[in-house]
Formats: sequence, structure tokens, C-alpha cells
Amino acid sequence: MAYVVPRRDARTQSEGVVEGYAQTAQRWPAQPLARRAPGPSELSGPRVSSRLKTTAADLAGRGAKRALGQLIDVRARIVDEDGAPVAGAMVEVWHCNAAGKYIHPNDSNDAPEDPNFYGAARVLADADGRVELRTIKPGAYPVPDTDGWWRPPHIHFSVWGRVWLSRLVTQMFFPGEPLNDRDYILNAVRDPEARSRCIARFMPQAGKALVYDYDLVVRGRTAAAELP
Amino acid sequence: MKRLVPTAEMTLGPFFPREFAAGANDLAAGAQGEPIEITGRVVQADGRGLDNLVLEIWQADAEGRFDNPAFCGWGRAATDADGVYFFKTIKPGATQGRAPHINFLILYSGLMRQLQTVMYLDDSSDPVLENLKERSGRLVATRLVATREGANRYRFDIRLRGEGETPFFDD
Repeated sequence: MAYVVPRRDARTQSEGVVEGYAQTAQRWPAQPLARRAPGPSELSGPRVSSRLKTTAADLAGRGAKRALGQLIDVRARIVDEDGAPVAGAMVEVWHCNAAGKYIHPNDSNDAPEDPNFYGAARVLADADGRVELRTIKPGAYPVPDTDGWWRPPHIHFSVWGRVWLSRLVTQMFFPGEPLNDRDYILNAVRDPEARSRCIARFMPQAGKALVYDYDLVVRGRTAAAELP
Repeated sequence: MKRLVPTAEMTLGPFFPREFAAGANDLAAGAQGEPIEITGRVVQADGRGLDNLVLEIWQADAEGRFDNPAFCGWGRAATDADGVYFFKTIKPGATQGRAPHINFLILYSGLMRQLQTVMYLDDSSDPVLENLKERSGRLVATRLVATREGANRYRFDIRLRGEGETPFFDD
């Protein structure tokens, strides 16, 4: 069955140039984006797992001791616009440590490093489109050269759907964080419902880690589902 | 059937792990076809080259097929401190009414969503290219002199914004 990628409602996606985030005005195109009719080139699917190696799904337990911070489990599920799970989807995550410091040479934030924290993972979803990551809750951090903008705790996600146009790179936020309402990145999505879907759900339960559920919807659906 | 709304894209941010972009820019190893190299510089509105910007490519095999199990037409590179990237691949074949081309996807800090563009190896007739009219020339790579190993080298520079801006697509 043919697979299609319908156009999106712009309100459910981030704006290109965002007030308060100065770099967007240097980088988002000034010309309107061109349109094209997707064909086999855009609607075929790269098998990235033959190029990229997976890692352990635990970012907090790879050192001699457990990483500092609140232990969390993130249960993410990758589905397409039909709600069909993307079996075997490749998922990359990365985030800062509990003090708000990334393992990256470009991070100039004056916050301590944690030798027991490993800030990135690459895993494959199971047959039901699910991945489970164990890590610590990332901290907030100030954005340099801004007027008091702090990034709320967030986890970067990079996932692949069934076809080239299904590629999704986004950020997962945590519920109840006061910084969420002030974040220029989260609030660049105008539709409040689309915004709230970027915030994980806290799932109270017994165990040694706080559990969060998070759904990712990648672009695309089977053509038959387009029929009325 | 109820249609789910695709998750909002967000910026890659400045701290994409270096190891995630390492070693994924060679598509030519073990592949059938004419090896080529692609290099270029990615700049922002003020002309500055962008460091640690991520480019992903997707292309057909030498015969124009996207489903060849023996060839993975996907690759990834990150720019260096001057904004320069590099891929090794094979020349894609023409496919179903399209001239030989390589799809590019760009992810970066300050880009709220992915940017999609296409690199053409020459100015053969192509419907996507022709729709761009006078801006189409920006998507045709410049063929440079062959390297010592004999691979043809192409230059494909990308300007995100400003004078001579690269055309990008919103599908």
C-alpha cells in the first residue's frame, strides 16, 4: 500500500523566526519555502540502522557509580499519523547532566561535570514502537547572551519514521516545570495542544526511578487511510 | 480513521553529540558505482560558517533505485569550525522522471525545524528544479577537478539566509 506524507498544520509546528532566540533570525530562510510533489525520492525509507550503531539504553549506569541526580525511566513510543507503531525505529537521545552541563566541547556553562553520566544513547524500538531509557533528570541551564532565558529540563530526541520525510528531531519536556512557560523553544509552537504533547506524562508507580511516558508521532500514513 | 498530529519539531541545539556524527559520511565503501566526493560550506545570513551543523543525505543507487539492500543511500556529516562538510558516495542514477540528485536535510541550533533541500549533479531537466525558476541554479553543484584517487569532486555550498539564499522545501 502506498505511503503518503500529508501537509502539516503550521500552528502545530514551531515558527521559523522566534523573538527572544536571536540566532533564528540569522538562520531561518528569508524566502518562502518552495513546494514540491513528493515522489519515490522523498517517500522511500533509509535504513539508517545499517549505518549507525546502537548503544546501551542506560545513560545513568555506565560509570563506576550511578550518575548524580533523580533517576528516571523514559518510556517513549514511536507511531505514525495512523497511530501505527514504527517497529524497529531508530531513536537517538542526548541531554545535559543534573547540574545543567552537556558533555560537549561547545558548552561554556560553568556547571560541574559528572564523570558517571553519559549524555547520549542510540537504541532501536521494539515491534510495538517502544523504547525505554534509564537516565537522570536533566537540570535547567541559562542560555548565554540572553536576557535571563533559562532552558527548562529537556531531553533531545532524534527519530526516523518509515520514509525520508518522516524524520523528526524534537525535545521532550517535563510536566510542572515553571520554566516551561517561559521557554522560547517550547512556546514557538502556537497551538497549545501541540505544545502540551511535547511534555511527557508522569506515571506514578513503585520502583526506584520516576517514570515518564512520551509519545512521538512521525509524519506519514498509508494512502488507504486517506479515503473517506 | 482518526489522524494523529505529527509531533512539533524543535531545534537540534548546539550540543549534538560529536560521536553521533562521526564515521557516517562515507556511503561509497563497498558500493557499486562511480565514486564521488561532495564538499561545501554552510553559512548563515552574515556569512559566518556554522560549526557542528548536521547534514543528512538520502540518494538512489547508481541504477536509480531506493530499495537496493546492498547500498545504504543514507549518510550524515557534521560541519567543522569553518562550516565545511564532506561526504564520500557514489553518483546516483536518474530515477522515475527525476535527474540524478541527492536529498539534503539540515539540522542546527537556531533552526526550529529541519530544512530540506536537493543537490543536483548537473543541470539536466528535472521537475523539482524547474519549479524554482531563476533560483534553480543554486541547487546545481559545481564539479571540481578529480582527486588523486580519480573520484570526481563536487562543491555544494549552502546559505541558510540572505543574498543568494539556498532554496529550501516545505513538503
